[in-house]
Amino acid sequence: MTQATSKKSADDLQSNTFVGSVKLLGAWWAPALWLSGMGVFASSRAGSTPGRDTFFNINQPWIVYVFMAALVGLLTYGFVRHASLWMIGRPTDGVFRNFRNRLQNVGRFGLGQDKVRRDRYAGIMHWCISSSIIVLTIVTAQVAIQDDTPLDFLHGPYYLFFSFYGDLFGLIGLIGVGMSLYRRYFVSHHRIRWDERLEDHLIIVGLGLILVSGFVVEAARIIETELVSHPDWARWSFVSWGLAHLINSFGFTTGSIDNPESQILNLHKWSWWIHVIFAFSWLGMIVFTKLDHLIFAPVNAFFLRTDSPGRLSEIKDIEEQEVFGVGYIQDFTWKQLFELDACVRCGRCTEVCPANIAGQPLSPMHLIQDLKGHLAEVGPSIQEHGHLTGDAGRDVSPIAMIGDVIKDESLWACRTCGACVQECPVLIEHVPTIVDMRRFLVMNEARLPANAQQALENIEMRGHPWKGTALERTTWMDGLGDVPLFDGSQEYLYWVGCSGSLVERNLPITKSVFKLLREAGTSFGVLGQEETCNGDPARRLGNEYLFQILAQQLIETFKAKGVQRVITNCPHCFNTFKNEYPQFDGKFEVLHHTEFLAKALSDGDLKPKYAVTADITYHDSCYLGRMNGTYDAPRQIIELVPGANLVEMQRNMSKGLCCGAGGGNMWQEEIGERRVNHVRTEEAVSTGASQVISNCPFCIQMFEDGVPSIQPEEEGRIKPFDVAELLETAVFGPASTEISDPEE
Amino acid sequence: MHLVVCAKQIPDPDTPPSAFKIDEASNSVIPAPGISPILSQFDGIAAEAALRIKEAGGDDAKVTVISMGADSARAAIKQVLAMGADEGVLLNDDAFEDGDSYTTAKVLASAIRELGDVDAVFCGRQAADWDMGQVGLLLAEELGWASAIIAKDISYADGNVSVQRVLTDGFETVQMALPAVMTVSNEFGEPRYPKLPQIMAAAKKTVTQYSAAELGLDAADVGASGSRLKIEKLFIPETDSNVEFMGGDTPQEQAAALVQRLQADKLI
Ligand code: SF4
Ligand code: SF4
Repeated sequence: MTQATSKKSADDLQSNTFVGSVKLLGAWWAPALWLSGMGVFASSRAGSTPGRDTFFNINQPWIVYVFMAALVGLLTYGFVRHASLWMIGRPTDGVFRNFRNRLQNVGRFGLGQDKVRRDRYAGIMHWCISSSIIVLTIVTAQVAIQDDTPLDFLHGPYYLFFSFYGDLFGLIGLIGVGMSLYRRYFVSHHRIRWDERLEDHLIIVGLGLILVSGFVVEAARIIETELVSHPDWARWSFVSWGLAHLINSFGFTTGSIDNPESQILNLHKWSWWIHVIFAFSWLGMIVFTKLDHLIFAPVNAFFLRTDSPGRLSEIKDIEEQEVFGVGYIQDFTWKQLFELDACVRCGRCTEVCPANIAGQPLSPMHLIQDLKGHLAEVGPSIQEHGHLTGDAGRDVSPIAMIGDVIKDESLWACRTCGACVQECPVLIEHVPTIVDMRRFLVMNEARLPANAQQALENIEMRGHPWKGTALERTTWMDGLGDVPLFDGSQEYLYWVGCSGSLVERNLPITKSVFKLLREAGTSFGVLGQEETCNGDPARRLGNEYLFQILAQQLIETFKAKGVQRVITNCPHCFNTFKNEYPQFDGKFEVLHHTEFLAKALSDGDLKPKYAVTADITYHDSCYLGRMNGTYDAPRQIIELVPGANLVEMQRNMSKGLCCGAGGGNMWQEEIGERRVNHVRTEEAVSTGASQVISNCPFCIQMFEDGVPSIQPEEEGRIKPFDVAELLETAVFGPASTEISDPEE
Repeated sequence: MHLVVCAKQIPDPDTPPSAFKIDEASNSVIPAPGISPILSQFDGIAAEAALRIKEAGGDDAKVTVISMGADSARAAIKQVLAMGADEGVLLNDDAFEDGDSYTTAKVLASAIRELGDVDAVFCGRQAADWDMGQVGLLLAEELGWASAIIAKDISYADGNVSVQRVLTDGFETVQMALPAVMTVSNEFGEPRYPKLPQIMAAAKKTVTQYSAAELGLDAADVGASGSRLKIEKLFIPETDSNVEFMGGDTPQEQAAALVQRLQADKLI
């Protein structure tokens, strides 16, 4: 057996090692807590000499409290203003269920900034800035406590230590600001500038000025009070101490409290005022700018769903609804409206969006921002109307949310691949929002692309989305001998799926899985002619009504037949059975074939004997990977195939790029510069591998379709296969496709 | 204005050929599992045509959908109701079974007379199972109305319809005074996708059912016994294809060989 090499995404590895240790240490809050703990400890043992007069040289220190009161007032006003807009939304189901998980999410994503770190540069930058803000706020708070409460602790060794970490985090903050400035002004076409506004400049330049002015204040005070008399204290404030020396080298006049007009004292005074005014104005910006993510991001982490991202919400009592889906801003849930406000326009979602990468008319960031703008524009009148009449106020705005604000084609271009959700540092969930709007288009307006409509009609009429197929649900069984029908006596139902039985290319995959299951001695049966669409394409395309009918029917069938465990060919079927059927009381144990086969291999039920000597790259389907977190099983199988050498694509695992077919795009014309499958095929080709292996009938079709465009020469083309096909060759030998049932 | 759409439920023509089987002894199609009954596509388009006229025609316009068939044909009726038709009529009687275009037209005409105030009838250009394309014309004959078949565009003004017809070599526009029968072709455009509120509403709309007796028809005149058409033989034609590669080292030689071969077979 050959050792396969695998270079997995840095952050996926991180999640085991680096992230773990960082999480143990805590991100910024651990040092902060630790430092303030030290303060309290030191206060109890106070007594030594080093210390300072808190408001040295400042005659109106009370002004700070005026600012503080104004800030609190402003924040309260801002919050009420925002909240009143969110409240026009519909109730959000179960946001307080799974409380523990939610708190964990706040720790992990809010405080621990787990998502921010997925971009390493940004992660470091953001850690520098946020930790510095937190620690310096604590520093400032300690100064206030020292000054305005009977507690007296800012002296002695703790004072020196306090001086040290205050300066340290000031410096760290400046490093962060520097990194941010560099990224914003010196990197061309950085995602951070894809939707740039004045506030972005104000925030970062303002923060820089606050930090610099803070150091100047400190340096001026040190010149006056410590540099000469207590040089050994001054050194602890190492940045300000250096700065003090620098300033001093210009020979400015120094003074004393009796001589308040010296140049240094003036410098101190002016920089203090600048520092204070800037700091409060900056904090005040929380109300008006994306700085609100300081509060909203951790709160949104709390609201983050705790179930699988592969599950779409159920429209309850669908037959009793007035409006289906979301065509008006007030039909979103308040959580969906809330999260619009958390967006920081970082562009991460758009950067990874397959539609955007292919130059198609969708940018999740702009979608969120456009909805946010729309909420701000029409929200107040809807709210007022609601107060007056108590109805939903759908006629209040002349602007159509879908059509005017969000273009239909943007909604249709989405693959529901979840890459945006995966990357969003403030935990916005774009996919449900997009699908909610699709629901409106399909069910309420019957406005959808012709091909998507045909797919839906085909599902309605024929129980599968493959219009015009020449195959039957049983065609794949030809040449396999006795194919057992599921009758309740077997352990597993092998669910072939529409694509596995009605699309020519996928028949060999279905056969491979079947042969491997038989070889492994699995007790299983199939439904054959009785399979019907499980509803996934209908749900993703927005026809929730059709989905619910199909789901309920199939759940009935499963229950009637005594199905308990299901093995699926297709990650979409897998996701639907596993994550969505429980919404309709259909609880089954569901495995994707790669999971089952990986287990059969490790149990020794399958033995790969034949070598497949090839470089192989592996494509993670979105619905097995991102939506369900199964990254390892398929890789384990590949690694166990003798001769197979796994070469990862640049984007892999949770960062994998969609093949382009998801979200019903299998049945739509793509509009835009390129086709997503061409982009992904190019990425597969660039690994130099001779095979691209996946786990999904759609992905395989998309590669089959993409390869001839990317590699016009037939010679040396990369070949798309399913993991099961690879394993079949390894278990039965290269000619196994011709081998039919041994009993025949 | 009262518009009628004639809709037929047929076995899905978009069926894999391998699933399609014939009983040659009885000259009939063997219903196969997995072939779902659907609304004949052209009838969906006819419904679209009627609905557009209704929408252009103001508030008092009404569309009734009529289907002759088994109880399962209610699904086809519901589908047109979901598209926006107002009422449904099912013509269901054992006596209607196994008829031909003539008896079908006869039954439909009786139902239309029964409705009374009908101004125009829309049919698909042909049913997508047998593809006869007769019922529309026979129905006009039976009613004594004007007719225009294979329409790609229909507009209505002041009691007249203007119909653009598809010909083999172009189009022709005819005008007719109502009442009239029209058959609608696929060039007309796709039928609409029903909105969910309409689907919900369709579930609540009534479907009136008539038997032969209720229409005043004698069972001997309709269905198999009234049929004028007799199927002599029903079979799936054998198709055979042979591939022959043309020799020659250059494209020129290959082309020359191809020309020779085609000439030898008197194909050119
Ligand atoms: S789900 Fe995928 S395709 Fe849709 S917006 Fe997000 S990243 Fe783009
Ligand atoms: S939605 Fe999230 S990832 Fe996208 S721009 Fe906003 S904050 Fe960034």
